[in-house]
Amino acid sequence: MNEPILQVNDLHYSYDDTQAALKGISVSIYPGERIAVIGSNGAGKSTFFLNINGVLSPEQGEIFYHGTKITKKSLPQLRKNIGIVFQDADNQIIASSVKAEVSFGPMNLKLPREEVVRRVNMAMEYMNITEYGDRPPHYLSGGEKKRVAIADIIAMEPDVIIFDEPTAALDPLNAAMLEEVLEKLSAEQKTLLISTHDVDFAYRWAKRVLVFCDGQIIADGTPLSVFQNDEVVKKASLARPMMLDVYQELVGSGLLADEGVYPRDMREFRELVGKRGRP
Amino acid sequence: MCLLLFCILADHPAVSCVIILTAAWITVGMGGLSLRRYLSVLTIPITFILLGSAAVAIDFSGQPVGDFNLYLFGGYLYLTGESLLKTLFLILKAFGAVSAMFIMTLSTPSHELFSVLRKAHCPSLIVELMHMIYRYIFILMEVQRNMRISAESRLGFRDFRTSCYSFGQIAGNLFIVALKKANAYYDAMEARCYDGTFAFLEEEYRANPRHLIAAGIYFAALSIFRIVVR
Repeated sequence: MNEPILQVNDLHYSYDDTQAALKGISVSIYPGERIAVIGSNGAGKSTFFLNINGVLSPEQGEIFYHGTKITKKSLPQLRKNIGIVFQDADNQIIASSVKAEVSFGPMNLKLPREEVVRRVNMAMEYMNITEYGDRPPHYLSGGEKKRVAIADIIAMEPDVIIFDEPTAALDPLNAAMLEEVLEKLSAEQKTLLISTHDVDFAYRWAKRVLVFCDGQIIADGTPLSVFQNDEVVKKASLARPMMLDVYQELVGSGLLADEGVYPRDMREFRELVGKRGRP
Repeated sequence: MCLLLFCILADHPAVSCVIILTAAWITVGMGGLSLRRYLSVLTIPITFILLGSAAVAIDFSGQPVGDFNLYLFGGYLYLTGESLLKTLFLILKAFGAVSAMFIMTLSTPSHELFSVLRKAHCPSLIVELMHMIYRYIFILMEVQRNMRISAESRLGFRDFRTSCYSFGQIAGNLFIVALKKANAYYDAMEARCYDGTFAFLEEEYRANPRHLIAAGIYFAALSIFRIVVR
């Protein structure tokens, strides 16, 4: 594969002296990857994200962006190219109108005015919030706020976009909308990292899964290999994806022939069942 | 803003009355706010104006003087017709100024206001603070409301004692939440390349010539009216 867009070597971080939040994280992320980051609450996912965005500075370890080591001087470069959509949109939105809010990132990039206008309009169209442009953020619903928070980051046009638990607190309609956006971003060759507790989502969406447990990455691989590893599932107290369970149950009871084609979502499952019928 | 100044400088009850009426017409008739909402918004300043004017109207004396007086604790509270009239004019003036102010408050989105202030070379520190305070007020209010509701659902306000206790707890908690939120905000801003200056995209705003002319005619009419009623 080509060179990693982001490389992290032996990253350590702690919020206070007594307990380390990250204990030696090493991972390489390649352009265009779709990575799901899973793990229980307090496993270090958010801390990891803030570290690779440069908001928190690691106590030990190195971060390379496109092969160049990140130092204090090149930190803005890192922030410019890696965007985080925070879990709680209310902790991200600062401006008093939606349009001003979306412009905050591009303005900080010191772009010329026409470019800022172009990006703001593009991002608002992307997230379908153009009609809310002049509304103050406290009159938006939860789903609309989330869309604004995502538009914030899209307007900065980063290479890597991190979503910190984006599906939490979204209704099914908004969650489906979010998945569409992820699909679209992925088609544009953006590198996406998403932390989630929704294993079904991780299973069907991701190409690669990182499992965090107690400040360490205990598994890194395809969703199938990770969720089939019972030891990892148990250690990180994960749930198993419904599709995987159903498939294995069907194969186990002889209702379906085992051909190693694992359906990832309902559509693939229907195709499989419709094609096979009974063995 | 000019209207506010005009109302105070003109210092004439008739001008004040005209301003009160036209301000109401601009906000309700042209702005589309319902009359009930407008009146309910106005009740707050009215209360203050009335209470404040009472102190101007009523005087205190050892002798029973004035047109009306009331014996109280070894002295007399008294009113004169003149002071009453003066107070009425004061109320009208204050009320006119407040309605002029409310035209702006009820019709201008905050970000436009900030943008005008920035263009008027108001120190950026003040404009940035206004930005943040405006956003934060709503966040604090929402957090406070949520905490209050959850306390209420657990009988936290069933009597005076528990109310006091809950209020204290909520206030204390609100402070801690505010600090935490400030941290979370700062992180989120840093993640978006915040470098110490607040910059937002501002609309290119061109004044509509018709608005300018309308405002000009309005002020001219007011000035003429002021001279006529002298």
